[in-house]
Amino acid sequence: MDATSTVSRTNSNKRPFFGQKSLDEWLLGSVLVVGIIALFICIVLPIYSLLSKSVQNNAGEFVGLDNFLTFITTPSLSSSIGNSVSIALICTFIVTSLAFMAAYGLTRTKIPLKGTFRLVMALPILAPSLLPAISLVYLFGNQGIMKELLMGESIYGPIGIIIGSCFWTFPHALMIMVTALSNTDARLYESADVLGASPARTFFTVTLPGAKYGIISVAFVVFTLVITDFGVPKVIGGQFNVLATDIYKQVIGQQNFEMGAAVSVILLLPAILTFITDRWLQRRQSALLTSKAVPWVAPKRPIVDRFFLVTMIILSAIVIGIIAMAVYASLVTFWPYNLALSLNNYQFDLMDGGGWESYWNSIEMACYTAVIGTGFIFFQSYLVEKLGGYKVIKWFFHLFAILPLAVPGLVLGLAYIFFFNAPNNPLNGIYGTMAILVVCTISHFYTVCHLTGTTALKQIDPEFESVSASLKVPQIYTFWRVSLPVCLPAVLDIASYLFVNAMTTVSAVVFLYSYNTTLASVAVLNMDDAGDIAPAAAMAVMIMMTCMVAKIIHWFVGDVLLKSSQRWRVR
Amino acid sequence: MSSTYLALHNIHQKFGTHHALKDVSLDVAEGEFVCFLGPSGCGKTSLLRIIAGLDLPTAGKVNQAGTDITYAPVKHRDFGIVFQSYALFPNLSVEDNIAYGLVTQNVSAPQRRARVKELLATVGLSGSESKYPAQLSGGQQQRVALARALATSPGLLLLDEPLSALDARVRAHLRQEIKQLQEKLGVTTIMVTHDQEEALTMADKIVVMNHGVIEQIGSPQTVYTQPKSAFVASFVGEMNFLQADVAGDRTLKSGDHTIEFNGLLDPKQSDIQVAIRPEDIRFFADQDGENTYAGRVAHTEFLGSRVRSTLKLDGIDAPLLADVSMNEMATLNIEAGHPVYCQLPKDRLHVFEGAK
Repeated sequence: MDATSTVSRTNSNKRPFFGQKSLDEWLLGSVLVVGIIALFICIVLPIYSLLSKSVQNNAGEFVGLDNFLTFITTPSLSSSIGNSVSIALICTFIVTSLAFMAAYGLTRTKIPLKGTFRLVMALPILAPSLLPAISLVYLFGNQGIMKELLMGESIYGPIGIIIGSCFWTFPHALMIMVTALSNTDARLYESADVLGASPARTFFTVTLPGAKYGIISVAFVVFTLVITDFGVPKVIGGQFNVLATDIYKQVIGQQNFEMGAAVSVILLLPAILTFITDRWLQRRQSALLTSKAVPWVAPKRPIVDRFFLVTMIILSAIVIGIIAMAVYASLVTFWPYNLALSLNNYQFDLMDGGGWESYWNSIEMACYTAVIGTGFIFFQSYLVEKLGGYKVIKWFFHLFAILPLAVPGLVLGLAYIFFFNAPNNPLNGIYGTMAILVVCTISHFYTVCHLTGTTALKQIDPEFESVSASLKVPQIYTFWRVSLPVCLPAVLDIASYLFVNAMTTVSAVVFLYSYNTTLASVAVLNMDDAGDIAPAAAMAVMIMMTCMVAKIIHWFVGDVLLKSSQRWRVR
Repeated sequence: MSSTYLALHNIHQKFGTHHALKDVSLDVAEGEFVCFLGPSGCGKTSLLRIIAGLDLPTAGKVNQAGTDITYAPVKHRDFGIVFQSYALFPNLSVEDNIAYGLVTQNVSAPQRRARVKELLATVGLSGSESKYPAQLSGGQQQRVALARALATSPGLLLLDEPLSALDARVRAHLRQEIKQLQEKLGVTTIMVTHDQEEALTMADKIVVMNHGVIEQIGSPQTVYTQPKSAFVASFVGEMNFLQADVAGDRTLKSGDHTIEFNGLLDPKQSDIQVAIRPEDIRFFADQDGENTYAGRVAHTEFLGSRVRSTLKLDGIDAPLLADVSMNEMATLNIEAGHPVYCQLPKDRLHVFEGAK
């Protein structure tokens, strides 16, 4: 063709050792490396310390499975395995059924006020799990107003744990179930109709199979939440031992860290099982619905609609009743002798447990968690999704980010003691400070935030980075100018999720707070422990109100400000 | 001939055991419009991404304007790119999208605005500065993406299936526009497409690819009239294939028929394919002249300006497709079931190695 063919066309040129990345891609890559090191230190190493501690004795010598043997052969301890499992199974059954009914009512019927019902039923998520337990004490306890309903049974024990656990796990179950039932395909229902199937047959052959994965997922999630929760059994469990309270007693009560570690490892098992099942289900679920699906619109069915309306009213009334009881109890001057309303119980400084300072500590901790956590998590998930290359590092990053989902808070808290309190750890200095609380809380809730971030980033065009590179624009500029603004709703979701969980969590931080860093949720626990139940209720109410305010701000910023300032979102 | 602007030397690309590109070499002249044409998975997009630096070759060399850019970072290369998805930034206005690459190049704000205005006029979207991508139609978004790629006046324009997301009418219109724009600006352009019509109408040079190798490089006319391989012949336009054996220097045998051929044949070859395009088959009233055979019309298909008939020739198993105009059809009485005589003119035959 022309002269260039005479030029030697050998492949003697070698790929340069620094690859073909430009400087700013190397800088972003080093941020990713810093991120994965942080995850390794804050998640992987502590869990490793916990695992190794569970096979050591008090003096730090390797003893194999001795701790586990001791646990199993001590009747008072091993009985708690049976207790935990049976409680979790009962709650799983109750919550899964109720959540299915509620979700069906919200998604598949023509009842009015769906938004309100949904809002009310999501309320428990804003309160620490201690709140329903305290409320139950006032409703059915020794001086409870509805004590007769139990017909002589005591609320302190399995009954209380079951009701309390059902209350606080319900919104989690409802969210998953609503998602599962929202994915409908009208064509299937039309086919069933045309083929002459009865409503009952349609329900069992179309509706139920369609929601199958959602139902299984809910069952596993509720089982894990209940078996790893420690707030409810601590407040209302009485002498009824469960695994979660065992860890607390072994560590806080008897300073038997090795046994605590062993029980923690046992507690890891159901969580890991749930985690694996959930991953497996998500892979199956995605193939279920085609993009051609036509959403199903519920027809008018007077009897069905009326039934679900009544169900929703009852469920909402229970939720409101339990919350209202806690609020009322916190305002009563001296239960049950002086029912005059006052704010006496809100004078936390007069009680043990840290006083108002613990509340402000919680706010501080939640703000740090939300700001630092959101910044770190979102930027790292951006790098994992959108930075070119670094395949091995990204794979491990993903693994580390998913790991916290399988680690119950109590276990993570204990793991943090073992790791950060070790005298030879250079990070020993953060033990007992606000920093460790923030780090632990971010780690504890890392997975959901990471997935929120990556999901949002996956939805934007993968060629944005290629285009900006071809226009010679640094990638960080495109992150700031395009990716971040487009993903702002997801960023807000992450921030509000972190804030609310930082306010309400007890399980991980209960091992990590110090005299200077008492937290509101821990104060609820300690005041209840000391018999100051009304102030405990008051603090729980304060936490709930704070979370409500946070949610309102989230709604305002996300739905009002963003939509009005970002004109491009409106088509 | 103008000078070589972009040269690919022996490019290989492997993904594990999958050999995506095998020894691909190509020269692109300055100002040329080149189309990479091939079915999906043929390696055309891989090749484009190697030129852009978005992927790396396993072996080989890429030269642009005399510099080796094989391993140069994307940012250090001189090209603009338009993707199939357009990849317009949804939160930025049309103006900000187009000026995106200018902002970091220290172009002053008034100059930027002037450049955006000029580019919008070029792509026929004057006055759309403050609109957002979601407010534009697919064709308009494509033009904005084109303007953005051209904003920094790159030496090379890469188009990755730019028209495939648009509906037929808009596509035909934009095809012309892009071609005219390219001629006006004189920018060297490489477009990836699986649509042969697009390639034939737009390109100065077509690179037909299959299974990671280049099958043929040539002008649209050459590729259409002188396909180098059976694959090119069947992928670009319609083609009839008949199994045949070499019978002499210039004769072939297919079934019971002897077929005269214009070129020289290699008598050592057996198992070859004779090919002819449907529009090259001629119809006659009787059996005079060379390569004329008796047969029957099996089926006709109305295509608007012409009719595609399916023919069964006596002694040949494979049915042949032949296109005739509406007028011809009326005069020759071509109808399903009717007997016909048809000629395979020897200067219109192609011969390819190997059974299909």
